[in-house]
Amino acid sequence: MHTEKPKHDFEPKIIAFVCTWCTYAGADLAGTSRMQYPANVRVLKFPCTGRIDPVFIIKAFQQGADGILISGCHPGDCHYISGNYHARRRFAAFRKLLEFIGVDLNRIQFSWVSAAEGGKWVDVVTDLTERVRTMGPMVEFKDLALEEQWSGGLNSPDLQEIYEAM
Amino acid sequence: MTQPIDISGYTRITESIRTEAKRILSDGTVSAVIGYTHVRRKGSTQPILITNPDDSEKLFFSEGCLNNLVVYLTKSKKDVPKTGKIGIVVKGCDLKAVVGLLGESQLKREDIYLIGVPCNGVLGSLINPATELNTKTIAAKCRECTDRMPVGADFVPPVELAAMPQMEATYSDKIAKLEAMTPSERWEFWKEQFSKCIKCYACRQVCAFCYCEQCVCDRNRPQMVEQSPRPSGNFSWHLVRAIHLAGRCVGCAECERVCPMDIPLNLLNRKMAMEMKELFNSEAGFEVREKGPLNSYDEHDDESFIR
Amino acid sequence: MQKQITEANLRLLIDSLLLKGQRVVGPRQSGAMVLYEPLSSASDLVFNEQPRRSAKEAFFPICEDLLEYRKNGQQIDLEDIEPSRFPETVLIGVRPCDAAAMPVLDSVFSWDYKDQFYLERRSRTIIIGLACTSADDACFCTAVGLSPGDSKGSDLMFSHLVNGGFLVESHTDKGALFLESWKDRFTEPDGSKTLPLAQPEATPFDLKKIKGWLDDHFEDPAWDSIATRCVGCGACAFVCPACHCFDIIDEGTEKSGKRRKFWDACGFSKFTNHASGHNPRDLQPKRYRNRIMHKFKYYDDKFGQNLCTGCGRCIRVCPVGIDIAGILEEIEKK
Repeated sequence: MHTEKPKHDFEPKIIAFVCTWCTYAGADLAGTSRMQYPANVRVLKFPCTGRIDPVFIIKAFQQGADGILISGCHPGDCHYISGNYHARRRFAAFRKLLEFIGVDLNRIQFSWVSAAEGGKWVDVVTDLTERVRTMGPMVEFKDLALEEQWSGGLNSPDLQEIYEAM
Repeated sequence: MTQPIDISGYTRITESIRTEAKRILSDGTVSAVIGYTHVRRKGSTQPILITNPDDSEKLFFSEGCLNNLVVYLTKSKKDVPKTGKIGIVVKGCDLKAVVGLLGESQLKREDIYLIGVPCNGVLGSLINPATELNTKTIAAKCRECTDRMPVGADFVPPVELAAMPQMEATYSDKIAKLEAMTPSERWEFWKEQFSKCIKCYACRQVCAFCYCEQCVCDRNRPQMVEQSPRPSGNFSWHLVRAIHLAGRCVGCAECERVCPMDIPLNLLNRKMAMEMKELFNSEAGFEVREKGPLNSYDEHDDESFIR
Repeated sequence: MQKQITEANLRLLIDSLLLKGQRVVGPRQSGAMVLYEPLSSASDLVFNEQPRRSAKEAFFPICEDLLEYRKNGQQIDLEDIEPSRFPETVLIGVRPCDAAAMPVLDSVFSWDYKDQFYLERRSRTIIIGLACTSADDACFCTAVGLSPGDSKGSDLMFSHLVNGGFLVESHTDKGALFLESWKDRFTEPDGSKTLPLAQPEATPFDLKKIKGWLDDHFEDPAWDSIATRCVGCGACAFVCPACHCFDIIDEGTEKSGKRRKFWDACGFSKFTNHASGHNPRDLQPKRYRNRIMHKFKYYDDKFGQNLCTGCGRCIRVCPVGIDIAGILEEIEKK
């Protein structure tokens, strides 16, 4: 009953930061229910979304992630009462920062997936994987790691103007 | 067109600060006063901590008094004595840092004596300190300052603020320009900026809110932020710095001013401050906030970005 | 040996060097400031502003890789970075205060351990100094025994001529060889006058007297009054032509990574932090004292030179206006 796996030129690496109480259990449910979803996702389990530090996301991108998923309990369901509320604010701010420095926010997905929502987990992961697949590899952070100290060469006159104004 | 800025009041502010410092040191109100003093180069200044009333004459205020002295009150500056009440000279922007630290329980109001300065602006940089203050040389933060008169200080020199010429706000303008670009253009812009970083950490060391005993960027087990001054580690450092200051930064712009490589760091901080205002209706001011925007929450916060 | 070169010929010289595949590093505009950076053509050169960072990074870069490691199962592959791969470099337009630091750095990098990374770069580089014609109130080379026309550390020395072009003087064999191999570009001096040298306002320090005070005053209340204000960043050390402390760290993953060497500074609180948690320089004045002591006492004790060339960069960039020249003046008066 296995469906044929389509062949792709590019298999994105998706790193999922999930809370252990809801989303991890939800992903587990998807597994035990034998639901199919892309194998591109690597799940990292945290006690709570409140424990997920923005620096983890930067690190994941630097080490080769093409897409990031952050998922936890629905509002009101946090095992620690308010961890996900804090995370919600933190990531609302952090995604604005990432956007400002030039990261395409389509590579990052936030979701609430409860322990009963195996199906939603499958949907979220599938959509993100396919979206990132069409976007291609995330090269920006990886290229940074290869770059040495460099200088000069701003490529647009507009950038040059702002730069000089500073 | 460059217009001069009237700072004639600074002479009287200087006199006032001296008299007040002498008074509070002599009558035992405070054990020390932190202020500004002259230094060898004309126009340059440096912070000074005085404990003797006779040293009050060393204090002064001028357009070269850029430092946010509040950093010396934090626990990261261990060599500054924290015993007894300390007097400190603050401009409006610096006072907001005191307010922020009070909110974060880093200071007790009864331990500090605030000498507020009615401020007509300071220079943008001290690399060439013998510069006249005008609409061109004034610090970018002063161009859009709305807090020239410190509110809630223990003592404010009785000096009327001179009228300021109209100046365009530069930060919001630059932020709007950046926002209008494509993500990859923005990335190129910041890549170029951060590549200049030499990891001298001047931005961290002058920040009143970077008071952690152990900075995450100095840790190598685990090494979340690469310590080497290379594009990769520089990006992480500046992103971490920006997010750690989001909702806390008061916009004194010291990070940007002290950067020896001229990285426009305050652009990131201003951008985050704008977002905090927009998302959570929270901004730094003269009112002590019990909790900042990122360590509190509302059940009805926007979650349109969450699936 | 004295020669002369016109500005047009200097351009041609630089372009031919670049065509030959040599790296030419000189002061060029980089954003709003001037830095010593590889030139892509002679027109990049900017002579009228002191670069924000010193020229030491031509030999002692901000960050460099020392080795690379890769783990394959049980096996670990190490790959050395060959210092011999460094390019032949012409360092041009170097300020006398930067060039004078090179012999000082040579002593420490070739002392008991020979630092191949530094020495290889150094041996592949020719330093062309340029006499200074302007100084600001932070400059104090004349106070530490140098001058705006000092040839210390330079293989060749350029001086601006009144009518444009440069007078060229060779001070080492390397310099003479360079003049010889590019002799088409240079002409015999025609007796034109050079522009007057800059005149920093600083009066010479009695460095012996200062050292004498430092010898006896490791513990002194003056350090507190001087350096309590120091916030503990590394700006002064990083722009300094003579500061040479570095740290080494492994970066990467457990599978692969690199060992890197990068600038460090005695102002950082973690600089002397022991693994045990004990920090012998626990407060900022002790760290700043080390900066002064190292520059004017320890280095002198060991190598007979001081570690300051009076470029004034640390004075310009210090976030809290610490003025090393002012401090030396203060110490001299004691």
